[in-house]
Amino acid sequence: MANIAKKVSWSGRGEDRGERTPLLNGAEDGKYNRKLSGGGMFHIGRLSTVDLEEEITPEEEIVRSRLKEIPHNEKLLSLKFESLDYDNSENQLFLEEERRMSHMGFRCLEIRRWVICGLIGFFTGLIACVIDIAVEVLAGYKYFLVKQNIEKFTEHGGLSISLILWAVLNSAFVMVGAIAVAFIEPIAGGSGIPQIKCYLNGVKIPRVVRLKTLVVKVFGVICSVAGGLAVGKEGPMIHSGAVVAAGVSQGRSTSLKKDFKMFEYFRRDTEKRDFVSAGAAAGVSAAFGAPVGGVLFSLEEGASFWNQMLTWRIFFASMVSSFTLNFFLSIYNKKPGELSSPGLINFGRFDSDTVKYTLFEIPLFIIIGALGGLLGALFNLLNNWLTIFRIRYVHRPCLQVMEAMLVAAVTATVSFAMIYFSNDCQPLGQDHSEEYPLQLFCADGEYNAMATTFFNTPERSVRSLFHNPPGTYNPVTLGVFTLAYFLLAVWTYGLAVSAGVFIPSLLIGAAWGRLFGILLSVIAPNQSMWADPGKYALMGAAAQLGGIVRMTLSLTVILVEATGNVTYGFPIMLVLMTAKIVGDYFVEGLYDLHIKLQSVPFLHWEAPATSHWLTAREVMSSAVTCFNRVEKVGTIVDVLSNTSTNHNGFPVVTHTTGHDEPGKICGLILRSQLIVLLKHKVFVERASSRLIQRKLQLKDFRDAYPRFPPIQSIHVSQDERECMMDLTEFMNPTPYTVPQETSLPRVFKLFRALGLRHLVVVDNENRVMGLVTRKDLARYHMGKDGLEELHLAQM
Amino acid sequence: MSSSLELKEVSIVSCYETRRPCLPLRVNGSWGDLRGTMASPWRSTEATNSEEVNAPLCIELVGYMFGWAFSFISIANCSVDPSELSVDVAVKRPVSPARGPGFLHSLSLSSAFPDDLEVNEYCMKMLHIYGERYVTYANCLVSYARPVKVCQNCYSDFISLKEIYTNISSDQLGPGNVSCHDSLMRSDRLMLLYTLFNKLDEIWISAECTQCLTGDQEALSNETVYFMASLNQSLSCFQQHQSNHSELCKACKASYKRLNELYGRMEKNQTLCIDLEDAMNVTRRLWSINYNCSMPREETVPVIAVSSFMLFLPIIFYLSSFLHSEQKKRKLIHPKRAKSSSSLMNIQDKFS
Repeated sequence: MANIAKKVSWSGRGEDRGERTPLLNGAEDGKYNRKLSGGGMFHIGRLSTVDLEEEITPEEEIVRSRLKEIPHNEKLLSLKFESLDYDNSENQLFLEEERRMSHMGFRCLEIRRWVICGLIGFFTGLIACVIDIAVEVLAGYKYFLVKQNIEKFTEHGGLSISLILWAVLNSAFVMVGAIAVAFIEPIAGGSGIPQIKCYLNGVKIPRVVRLKTLVVKVFGVICSVAGGLAVGKEGPMIHSGAVVAAGVSQGRSTSLKKDFKMFEYFRRDTEKRDFVSAGAAAGVSAAFGAPVGGVLFSLEEGASFWNQMLTWRIFFASMVSSFTLNFFLSIYNKKPGELSSPGLINFGRFDSDTVKYTLFEIPLFIIIGALGGLLGALFNLLNNWLTIFRIRYVHRPCLQVMEAMLVAAVTATVSFAMIYFSNDCQPLGQDHSEEYPLQLFCADGEYNAMATTFFNTPERSVRSLFHNPPGTYNPVTLGVFTLAYFLLAVWTYGLAVSAGVFIPSLLIGAAWGRLFGILLSVIAPNQSMWADPGKYALMGAAAQLGGIVRMTLSLTVILVEATGNVTYGFPIMLVLMTAKIVGDYFVEGLYDLHIKLQSVPFLHWEAPATSHWLTAREVMSSAVTCFNRVEKVGTIVDVLSNTSTNHNGFPVVTHTTGHDEPGKICGLILRSQLIVLLKHKVFVERASSRLIQRKLQLKDFRDAYPRFPPIQSIHVSQDERECMMDLTEFMNPTPYTVPQETSLPRVFKLFRALGLRHLVVVDNENRVMGLVTRKDLARYHMGKDGLEELHLAQM
Repeated sequence: MSSSLELKEVSIVSCYETRRPCLPLRVNGSWGDLRGTMASPWRSTEATNSEEVNAPLCIELVGYMFGWAFSFISIANCSVDPSELSVDVAVKRPVSPARGPGFLHSLSLSSAFPDDLEVNEYCMKMLHIYGERYVTYANCLVSYARPVKVCQNCYSDFISLKEIYTNISSDQLGPGNVSCHDSLMRSDRLMLLYTLFNKLDEIWISAECTQCLTGDQEALSNETVYFMASLNQSLSCFQQHQSNHSELCKACKASYKRLNELYGRMEKNQTLCIDLEDAMNVTRRLWSINYNCSMPREETVPVIAVSSFMLFLPIIFYLSSFLHSEQKKRKLIHPKRAKSSSSLMNIQDKFS
């Protein structure tokens, strides 16, 4: 039985549902099919008492958890993810601080924000520069070595040794990078865009914006790109920018245990989020030389929280980052002051006479878009299966490192075989656009055309596909290359290396786009003037990228900016639009798929359609753990230490008499606040002594941010357990509440727009009936047959 | 003067003679045709050369290439009194029949203009010299267009052209306190002198001829001469073994390889000009295509073996990790929720 489940569960998605469901949960299956007519209504009181009883019996808990163990799939929500506190807690401390702050103080805050944005841009640009130079140097060294070797062995025989050398070099680079990622910081793997998307959405992904992550990320990217994998360094730049922003805006690093005593005001989620979006924008800007595209990217991904001033600041950060990269690269290229190489990827400029396009080409562009959508959907589908397999079976770090090394070796092998068996020889160009021309069996003075695409960093290959004059590539070469690179890219994305998917997508698209262009000029030989293969390569690249990542506005602007050509704005938009429409028909975007596979409670723009009949009563978690205004320390410690209920927000109620009688709400307090209170021992009994001591300020809460100590590390003596704690001063006195009858979309909108973490559900007497959190909302999604519910899973 | 001209004529012919063995790529017959077409252009060169002898300025006639060896014929310090510069040289030896009379005609017409607008006589002379040298240089370029040998043969012409051009375009005042710059170069919107020179200068720059010359642009650089010598070596080797290609590949490999390496080095040092590039291109094409001496693809079997071994590895890896690795399980948690596990059932109910 289990064996069948194993096989089915990773080989296909379509059929396995029917077979797997009974396995998970045999008892429920019967209920599922049976349509109970009278079971729709339920009684909160009864069920909540049942819940309480259930928690008491540990044997049952064990039995259930054993029963409920299922293989990882995409329909889960993990408990390890928490929300960020984007809602400001307007407690008395906050009000006091605001009163104390002068007008000048607010001015200074604004100036500091600008300074931080400038710093974010600067450091992001610097990092981009470091990555660029390091990759260029390392890859240059590698290709030089391999080229020399190949040249030597072409003459004397023994090319298989060069193949092995290439594979070993690749694997060695990738191994170093993969070890860093798999053993030191797994969150640094992949492109990082899904993680940043989640962060901007309001999900706290553990360790995603730490300095350690940044270091591993940068190091990993250098290794994986230099290791010749089918990856790019652009996606990770976005993550790096976000980490830089999170670090700079806090004025300290908890990893280095260094506090610069700067920017203390910004030590909370609300402020940090704004800076992180600026950092992501700066990252995009540095990666593509697209400042406006960067701003639009962070709007597209985190757009529920922005305003005019923030946008302007983000734009500033983007520009600074682009400028910094320019400046340092110009120094590196020994042309100081020349600011014309704006991004990590340089698509090159399209000349004015080749950029022409005519009306009758529009349908062709749309066809390209549709093709890109199809291929993108195929890419995502294959990668999705592979990722599920990886999560299930390749989860041990050493296996992950091995896998990455294997991919690197195979990439080298495939490239070598392609180059070896290619008969496509082209004369060396005058401008030496081929950095490492390989001659192999070509005539002297010619080079192997396959080698320009494989024996090169992907960015250069993209550029040569865009700009090499017609006739540089032979259609067969392009076709074979597209196929090989497509499979390699599918296989590579999701490995435990830090690497982006932008460049491989662009490369695949550029290859088949160019092929498309060449075929067009063959079909219409008398009109071959307009069928410039470079133009179609660009459209193909846009279509493929759009089909994979499904970004719309920002991607259009990024591509327009990266090519420095507004003329193509309209066709690129059309292509991306078609690609998205066609792709969405089959499967979601790659980033969304990966977010799902990581079981992140991600809130989309809208609540799922046809969910208006669901009300807050059904959505909420009930039997809420509440505290009294003045609560016993022992109770608080017990609740906080309870590992099975790892709650973060607790409604504060007026005094309740019994368990079954919910109290009236008067505020909301967070776990982090309680921990700080416990740490500082703010007890009523000590109030007299506290008068002498310093009064607790908002600063104390900020100092503990963002890594609040766990409750276990706080020692509370037996005597202290009997003390009382007055929460009035610290709780948020006006939490958002909704009545029980509120529909799910309404709750959803409130949540999404305000970036809430907890939403209290009350009855008409303001008594706490339940609590809606992110996971309660994120679990509903549209499946193939109507509304589905995701399961909650541990870790 | 006439004797010197004759000497020139002779030397030019001898130039053809000596160069012939150096260009084995040409079928012998075609040289005759080339010479025939070149006969008339060379006549104008004579005139230019005679001009140079009479030039008012100090002109160093740099030298002519005779085959691959080169020597200087420098006629230095030939300062002649400007008054002696007779226009009749131009009259006697018109550059072309069409141009000569027109030239004179405009001269006679120009006296009708008021003094200040009239182009000064000195400038006219300069213009004349410019024209002669321009023609010489352009002729040289065309004559050596295929196979490209412009750098070796035309650098002296270019230098003399450049000299007169700089002279005209400089703001230095000539006799009579006139600057020819304004009157010749900037008086009309066509700015013919400027445009003409600019085009030729562009050609010179894109040919990268300066890289083949010595620092003072007066002779071919040592590297170039050395390269030419080794190119000749290879070509003569080719010619020796022309009958048997496989033998040629073996016999000439050493010299060809040396040549290739030398070329690669020069490419790195940026001491290549169009002449050398073209010569090398032709030689390479001969070697690889005509004589078919490229590397054969011999070791297909080991490459396939190693590749398939590499491709086989991931299959083993995935199979073994699928069979032996423990599948990652997720523990489901019952949410503390009003309707708890029956939520799906509820959804069904609502729909039914």
